Amino acid sequence: MSLDLKIDDLEVRAASGRVLLSVPRLSVAAGMCLGVKGPSGAGKSTFLFSLAGLGANSSGAIAWGGTDLMVLSPEARAKFRRHHIGMVFQDFLLFEELSAAANAALPGAYSRRARQAVIARKAGDVLDRLGIAHGGRTVESFSGGERQRVAIARALAADPEIVLADEPTASLDRKTADRLIEDLVRMVREEGKTLIAVSHDPAVYTRMDRVIEIVDGAIVSDEVRDG
Amino acid sequence: MNPLAPLYRAIEWMPVLAQDITVLVVLVMPALIVGALVLVGFRPFPLVRAMLWRFRWTNALFVLLIAVSVGLGVGLIAQERGLRQGTARAADPFDLVISAPGSEITMMFAAVYLQPSDVPLLSGEIYDEVANAPDVTLAAPIAFGDSYVSSPVVGSTAQFVTHLSPDLAEGAMFADRLEAVIGSRVDLALGDSFTPAHGVGDAAEHDAHAHVEYVVSGRMQPTGSPWDRAIIVPVEAVWEIHGLANGHAPENADQLGPPFDPDYFPGTPAILVSAEQLYVNYALRAQFTTDRTMAFFPGTVLANLYSLMGDVRQVMSIMAVVTQILVTAGVLAGLVILTRLFARRLALLRALGAPGRFVFSVVWSYAATLIFSGAVLGVAIGYGAAALISRVVSAQTDILVTATLSWPEFHLVGAFVSLTVILALVPAFIALSRPVVTDLRS
Ligand SMILES: Nc1ncnc2c1ncn2[C@@H]1O[C@H](COP(=O)(O)OP(=O)(O)OP(=O)(O)O)[C@@H](O)[C@H]1O
Ligand SMILES: [Mg+2]
Repeated sequence: MSLDLKIDDLEVRAASGRVLLSVPRLSVAAGMCLGVKGPSGAGKSTFLFSLAGLGANSSGAIAWGGTDLMVLSPEARAKFRRHHIGMVFQDFLLFEELSAAANAALPGAYSRRARQAVIARKAGDVLDRLGIAHGGRTVESFSGGERQRVAIARALAADPEIVLADEPTASLDRKTADRLIEDLVRMVREEGKTLIAVSHDPAVYTRMDRVIEIVDGAIVSDEVRDG
Repeated sequence: MNPLAPLYRAIEWMPVLAQDITVLVVLVMPALIVGALVLVGFRPFPLVRAMLWRFRWTNALFVLLIAVSVGLGVGLIAQERGLRQGTARAADPFDLVISAPGSEITMMFAAVYLQPSDVPLLSGEIYDEVANAPDVTLAAPIAFGDSYVSSPVVGSTAQFVTHLSPDLAEGAMFADRLEAVIGSRVDLALGDSFTPAHGVGDAAEHDAHAHVEYVVSGRMQPTGSPWDRAIIVPVEAVWEIHGLANGHAPENADQLGPPFDPDYFPGTPAILVSAEQLYVNYALRAQFTTDRTMAFFPGTVLANLYSLMGDVRQVMSIMAVVTQILVTAGVLAGLVILTRLFARRLALLRALGAPGRFVFSVVWSYAATLIFSGAVLGVAIGYGAAALISRVVSAQTDILVTATLSWPEFHLVGAFVSLTVILALVPAFIALSRPVVTDLRS
């Protein structure tokens, strides 16, 4: 099953009724790397949460490969995320007192026994590839760059077709940011995953196939890059 | 009355131990079933351990609060039972006491627990009648009223000493008027001599018997009763130093112990009577319940006293239950607040796609761990508190009160754990109803 994204008439409102995001129409082919840019407060994170089926007060359709998340129950959306979506959050959101390996393998904690070992192995592989050698240490002592790698390993551990990343290089220095985005994009492309990455960082856009810009809750530009 | 009574009735065919275990299992079963249903298919423990560690001091404080309240309940039950058993054990050697008519309770406190009290005396005829009643194996005068330091000095017979302490811990039975056998906790040594005071406590006249000196000839085994503090001397000596006849006709003036001659018997406040067969005791009680004498079983008086206080106990146990309910409500509110500490982590799990039931099991296991730890620690605290209070009570009253943990305490704790662990489903539901994205962004 190829999980193309198709959005129709998506509208997300705040509890007050204010429109936070309005996307009349958007299609993203499976396997594509899509960058999302825009000023702070424009609605980028809101967009990403909606794609994961976490939006509240929303209407319209968000379909991944024909599965419209909007008509699913919360529990069915959770199941969809569990099986198809990996998420990297704007701040890392790790369990500080768990080891890097345990954090990366977190999706195994609520998976069937047979999958747990697979997930743990994959988490370990990704940590290796991202250069985290000391997976047994608790992440309390980790630097921002190391934490972000652990968060990426967690997003990839369950081998999802879709990776949603919110500011994956924020608060990292230039060199670390470049290395990280390069590693992430390489792994995603190798495995034919769809990547949707929100970022302020032009270095991120240059590695994407396509970049959209959101301003005040609306998509104002949509640029396909040749690379 | 006791909510467990119907259950006990249904299983009364079992051995007692099996009954108690069954009741505990029945009480804990709801918690186990809920736990199994919540946890089946999931292993939330690494996350729970992380959550426990993350807020360890808050969690520790919470566990301590539960422990103290559980400990209080456990300690009270254990203490009350210890006191009941201790007083009963102390009264055990006193099968039947005969005295002048009056208050059985006052007489029991005086003769059994050696609490000083002025009581009328029984005459030699009555003593003779008692001593010669068929099947009586022991009829010992108990002549209290003198003291030495904090020890009552009681006049009685060698048979009575043997009745309290079949073997002496050291030394020998008094063989002479001015010899004494002391209780296990009297601060005198064999061969020490002492002068008794007339009366007891602050009212004692220390010079009244200045010319008398007793010598300690033996020491009794511990009895766990106020008699461990007592000094027993031949009743003849007590009579003589008060300037009375010594219980024997002049031609037998040196005799020690029974038979006593009614004509030379100055009187005794109480007589301890013992018979081989229970029915003899009942017959004697009937025979000596007259307008001149009162006969009572201290064990029965004690039981009546306790059943009288049973109402008080009832009120206390209702209060204990109310307290436990309040504590449970507090635990519940505390858990709702505690789980808010984890709102962001729980939101993370749900954003990643964890099933609601997994998040639920994390919250519940966390709560159940706190409750269970608190309960276990509470049992230890209750035991410690009961042991401490027992020592104080024993030191104050000389009645040996032992603190033990027994089934009622475990049943209480089992019921508490079951109830709270089931109520812990509520914070788990509340945690699940929180908005994911809002909590993630917080
Ligand atoms: N739970 C919420 N309730 C109401 N308004 C919200 C909520 N969450 C976000 N918003 C508002 O929605 C708008 C978009 O927020 P969003 O976080 O999506 O922006 P963003 O583009 O990701 O910004 P940044 O680059 O700073 O992360 C903002 O105005 C924000 O204040
Ligand atoms: Mg954002």
